[in-house]
Amino acid sequence: MLSKTIKITLFFLLLLTACTSALPAGDLTFTDGLGREVKLDGPAQRVITLAPSLTEVLFAVGAGSQVVGRDDFSDYPAEALNVASIGSTFGDLNTEAILALEPDLVLAAEINTPEQVKSLEDLGITVYYLNNPLTFAELYDQVRLVGQLTGHEEEADELAESLSARVDAVTEAVGNVTERPTVFYEIDGTDPAKPWTTGPGTFMDTMITMAGGVNIGGVLSDQYAQISVEEIVAQNPDFIILGDAAFGVTVESIGERAGWSDLTAVQDGHVIPFDDNLASRPGPRLVDGLEELLKILHPELVPTQ
Amino acid sequence: MRRFPFLPAFIFLLLALLLSLGIGSVFLSPAELLNSLTGRGSDLANSILWKIRLPRTVLIALTGMALGGSGAAYQGLFRNPLADPFLIGIASGAGLGAVLAMSVQWPYTFWGLMAIPLSAFFAALLTVAVVYFLARVGQTTPVTNLILAGVAVSAFATSLMSFLMLQSDGELRRAMSWLMGGSIQLGWTFTLAMLPYLLIGLGVLVFSGHALNLLQFGDEQAQQLGLDVVRVKRIILISASLATAAAVAFSGIIGFIGLVVPHLSRLWFGADYKRLLPLSILSGATLLLVSDVIARVVLAPQELPVGIVTALAGAPFFLWVLRRSKTQGLW
Repeated sequence: MLSKTIKITLFFLLLLTACTSALPAGDLTFTDGLGREVKLDGPAQRVITLAPSLTEVLFAVGAGSQVVGRDDFSDYPAEALNVASIGSTFGDLNTEAILALEPDLVLAAEINTPEQVKSLEDLGITVYYLNNPLTFAELYDQVRLVGQLTGHEEEADELAESLSARVDAVTEAVGNVTERPTVFYEIDGTDPAKPWTTGPGTFMDTMITMAGGVNIGGVLSDQYAQISVEEIVAQNPDFIILGDAAFGVTVESIGERAGWSDLTAVQDGHVIPFDDNLASRPGPRLVDGLEELLKILHPELVPTQ
Repeated sequence: MRRFPFLPAFIFLLLALLLSLGIGSVFLSPAELLNSLTGRGSDLANSILWKIRLPRTVLIALTGMALGGSGAAYQGLFRNPLADPFLIGIASGAGLGAVLAMSVQWPYTFWGLMAIPLSAFFAALLTVAVVYFLARVGQTTPVTNLILAGVAVSAFATSLMSFLMLQSDGELRRAMSWLMGGSIQLGWTFTLAMLPYLLIGLGVLVFSGHALNLLQFGDEQAQQLGLDVVRVKRIILISASLATAAAVAFSGIIGFIGLVVPHLSRLWFGADYKRLLPLSILSGATLLLVSDVIARVVLAPQELPVGIVTALAGAPFFLWVLRRSKTQGLW
């Protein structure tokens, strides 16, 4: 009789675990960034990403093996380069290539247009459009969402928590800072008389402030604009951060620009190359970018380990 | 070929259509294509043929027809070998309309997605109307005035559009890709939307051959030969602009076709507008289809905007034909 009780108990325990660990059968329904209703039969197993930022999020939550297609510019992490590319997302998409990969979900970001989404929808492909996060809170939400879409909720939650903790650490460290150095972040300096920088309201602008600095581009009216070199000289920023380092701009070349050698930042050696992808791709690496900025602007606040 | 030009023109067009249906990123053998045409192929092949290649082929062919036909009409109207359908502001007007529409976040609905092409369409027509009324002198619109007003208004519209693009905060990419050759993948919706304007515009133009021939003698001469010059010019202008605006609004700005196709047709088939117009319409479709195939294939799986290919491939081709042509002063 005891063994019978044990058997029944075990049976019910088994049933219980089966119920809690099984994926919910039936539809997962979402509303995407364009207000469209998106239904999935279950976590997506064959995902195509149309934006480098989304590729990074997918791999970060552990869904890398479920990515069967990517856009040409998705180059991080290195494993992404092994995924088949469907070409560039500039203009019309290569819908034939996308269709041939038989995706059950295509992820689009703001870099993709509603027309591109529609062209895929017309072919019967499930597309989810994600708006770019404008704050770190929205970034965590996006990470969790991608986790839900691909069946990696736990990993996504963990990632969101760890990102949040790191950001909080930076905010705390900067909280009592008295001196906020001024920063000029160069996006493109092809024309040194009016280089492109980030104005108010961009993630980079927010991150500079969060890392305890002041973005001199904050006086501009557009988010991405050309600033006059006279304004740079007038503001005389404490730091010059070269977001265009990847395009061959070196610290030495800054000093050679007419009038730039008189800037404090150049004379004090505070011209720093920076990987712009850490600021322009709305993904987990934004937190890396934030920590990078803290190291540059307030090295004294970075705990030595 | 000079005496019976329509047969080779139709044959070339048919070949171009087949090429466009047969070539793409995914290789489909002729057998598979045939199966799909009759509805028996695999799901993938059917989808590719019916939902991707066929709508695209039809849209490109119609756009090419519009550009070729109105290019010939404009060259006849302005009596100028450099005239092209964008001379009096259609391209800049459409661009301005499109960029203006892009600065608004339209809802993702049918009309929301039509907002940009419709805005481009009406802005293009509005620009032509503005140019026309600016160029009027009393009852007539001298051709020189039209050209000058067109150049000025185009410049204004283009710089306004560029300024708006600067303000766009992220829509810049979208605007640029539209300007290089718009979104041609919205299948039958766009094709059906542009069809009425195209049919009306091109329909009128096809029958304007005789009037254009007369206009080649000059406005006064044509008037004396019995042509109601003012009315005819207005009708031709409106029809050509209607067809071009529809083409540009739904396919983006594709240059070179409107300029070169009439010249090619003239070199091959002679300058009689009664034949030149229909032939330009057919050849425009052929040339644009071939350019589109090249745009799909040359850097596959990347797709080049077709507007880039038309000039890159079209210009050397045109120069080659020009050099080979033994007749001088055909213009």
